[in-house]
Amino acid sequence: MLLIIGFIGFPIALSLALTLGFTGGLNQIIALIGQGIRPADHWWGTMAGYQALFSDPRFNGDLQQTIIVTVVSTIVVLVLSLAIALIVRLHRGRIAQLLGAIIVVPMFVPVVISAWAIHTFYGGDGFVRSVAALLGLQAPTLTSTMWAVIIGSVWTSLPFASLLVTSGMQSIPDALIDAARDAGAPMSRIVRTIMLPLASTQLIIATTFTSIGILGSFTIPYFLGSNQPTMLGVEISNFLNAYNRPQQAVAMAFVIFVFAAGIAIAYVRANLRGSATEARA
Amino acid sequence: MRSKSMLAAITIAGLLAAATAGTAAAAPKPKPAKKAAKVIRDIRLFISADTNIQDLWQKTLIPAFETRYPQYRVDVTFDLHGVHDAQTTAKVTAATVLHKDPGIDLIDGGFTVQLGTSGLLAPETVKTMPNLKLVSPSVLKAGRGGIPYRGSSVLLAYNATTVPTPPKTLDDLLAWIKANPGKFTYNAPAGGGAGYAFVQTVVDKYVSDATRQKMTTDVVPELEGEWTQGLSTLRGLNPYTYGKNGTYPANNTATLSLLASGQVDMGTVWSDQFTTARRTGAMPANIKVTQISNPSLTGGASYLGIPRAATNIKGAQVLANWVLTPQAQNLIMGGTLNGYPVIPLKLLDPTLADNFANADIANLRPTYTSAMANDLKNAWASSVPGK
Repeated sequence: MLLIIGFIGFPIALSLALTLGFTGGLNQIIALIGQGIRPADHWWGTMAGYQALFSDPRFNGDLQQTIIVTVVSTIVVLVLSLAIALIVRLHRGRIAQLLGAIIVVPMFVPVVISAWAIHTFYGGDGFVRSVAALLGLQAPTLTSTMWAVIIGSVWTSLPFASLLVTSGMQSIPDALIDAARDAGAPMSRIVRTIMLPLASTQLIIATTFTSIGILGSFTIPYFLGSNQPTMLGVEISNFLNAYNRPQQAVAMAFVIFVFAAGIAIAYVRANLRGSATEARA
Repeated sequence: MRSKSMLAAITIAGLLAAATAGTAAAAPKPKPAKKAAKVIRDIRLFISADTNIQDLWQKTLIPAFETRYPQYRVDVTFDLHGVHDAQTTAKVTAATVLHKDPGIDLIDGGFTVQLGTSGLLAPETVKTMPNLKLVSPSVLKAGRGGIPYRGSSVLLAYNATTVPTPPKTLDDLLAWIKANPGKFTYNAPAGGGAGYAFVQTVVDKYVSDATRQKMTTDVVPELEGEWTQGLSTLRGLNPYTYGKNGTYPANNTATLSLLASGQVDMGTVWSDQFTTARRTGAMPANIKVTQISNPSLTGGASYLGIPRAATNIKGAQVLANWVLTPQAQNLIMGGTLNGYPVIPLKLLDPTLADNFANADIANLRPTYTSAMANDLKNAWASSVPGK
C-alpha cells in the first residue's frame, strides 16, 4: 500500500497538480525551467493548460492519429490472432504447430531492432520498392506514414495476443466441438456459437493489452511515423524535451490516461466475469 | 475492491502534495563528494552531445590531460543527443538554489549558455584561466560565463555529380529546391541542429536585423510574430522537399544517410559530422559541402560551463584552461572531430590549420538563445510538416 502511494499515487498527484497550474512545492523547479506554463488562477487551479492543448491543431491531429492507429492495429491483431488460434486449435498438424511457433518470434526481437528492420524494408530504398522497381513498378514509400506505424504496431503486438487467444482456444474441451460436429453443425457455426463465447475472456484481455500497449507506444511511431501528426507518445517526448513545455506534455499524458482507463475498465469487467464463470463451474 | 483502495491511495497522495506545497522542496540527496584524501582528485565532466563529442573527450582530450596533470582524474557522464538537457538544467538549478552539490564540475552541452544567462555558472576569469586571453572577446562575451572551446557550423552538403554548381545564396537555394522536387531535405528541427539551422536561416531572411540580434541574446517571445513569413515559406517547400508530403528526416544522421545513399542531392549537415563521416568512409567522395550567404547557415562556439555550486571548481578551471592550449586545440582540429579551433590559427599546427582558414569562429552567424530556439522548433512543428 505504501509502495503504491510512494511510487504511483504521489507522482500522479504531483503531475496532475502541474497540469492544473500548481507551480509551488515540488513543482517549483520544473515550473521555473519550463516555458509556456499557465499558473493557477482559482483555488482548484486552472484549465488553461488543457485549453491551450485542445486549441492547438497539432494535438487534435495527434489524438486522431493515435486513436486511428490504436483501433485499426487492434482489430488487425485480433483478426490475425483469432485466425491463427483457430488453425492451431482445429488442425493439429505439423504446419499448425510450426505456425504457432513462428508467430511468437517477434516477441524475442527488441522493438528498436524490428522498427529499424521495418524501416529498411518499406523505406525509400527498401526491399519493397527495390523489388517493385525490378518489375518496372513504382511502389509507394510507406515509411513516414501512418501505414508503417500500423504495420509496426501489428508486428510487435501480434505474438502476445495470439498466445493469449490460442491458450483460450486450447482450453475448450474437444467434447464440445465433437458433439456439435456430430449434431451436424457447420464449422462456421461451431466457431461462432461455441468457440468464440468460451474464449471471450481471453479475447477481451488480448484486446485490452494490445490497445493499451499501442496507445502509449513510442519506439514504433518515432522510427516509422511522420513528423506531424504523430502519435501522442512521441509528441509528449517532443513537448517535454525539444519544446520545453512540461505542463502540456503532462496534460497529454493525462488525456492518454483517460483513454487507457476506459480500456482498463473493460479489462476489469472481463476479469470479474471470468472469475464468476469459474466460481459457477 | 482493488480499484477502490487505489482511489484511496491517490487521494492520500493528493493530500500529502497539498501539505508539502509551499514548504521547501525536498532536495534529492547529493552524492557525497569524493574526499581529497587521495592525491588524485576527480573532475566530474558532464557531456551532452553526439557520440563524436564523446569520442573527442574520452579518446583524445582526457588521456592527454591526465598525462599532463596526473593529479586529476576526469570522470565522465554522457547524455546522448542531450535528451535529458531539461532535467540536467533542473538538477543544476535546484542544487544551486539549495546550496547542494550538483554532482557536476564541468559541463559540455548546448544548455551551458542558458545556465550562464540564469547566473548559475561560476564567472570565468583570466586570472584563473589565463588562456582565455587567446579567445575572441565577442565569442567569450556571448557565452555569459561559458568558456568557448571549439566551434562548428552547419553547411550545405551537395552531390557534386548531379549538382555541378551549388547555390551560393539562400535565394538561389530556395529556387533550386523548387526546380528539383524531392532532391533536398533538412531534418526536423526538434531532432537536431542541422535542420534547425536551415529553419532559422529561412526565418531570419524575413526578420529585421535588430530582432535577429535580440533573439540571439535575449528571450523576446513578443517578437515571434516576425517568424510568420519565414514559416510560410518553409511550408511552401513541403511539396518540393524529400518525401514531397511534408515529412522530414528525424535527426542529423538521417539526413547524412539520405545523402550518402543518393536519395537526395542536397541537405544541411553539421561541419564536424560531415567531415567525420567522410573520413570513416560513410560519405562518398562526390558529396561536397559549401556555405551559402545572405543569410548564411548558422554556427558558433560550443561552451564549457562550471556550475557555481560545483565542489571542484579549481579542477574544472585547470581542465578548461588546458583545453584552450594550442596542444588541445590541435587535438580538436585533427583527431576524430575536425572541430573549429577557438584560438588564433597562427598558434596552431599549420598543416591542420590550413583546412580552417575560412572558419572564423567570431564571424559565424549565431543561433537563437535556447528558449527562443525551443519556441521556433515548436512553431515549425505546428505550422510546417504535414500541411
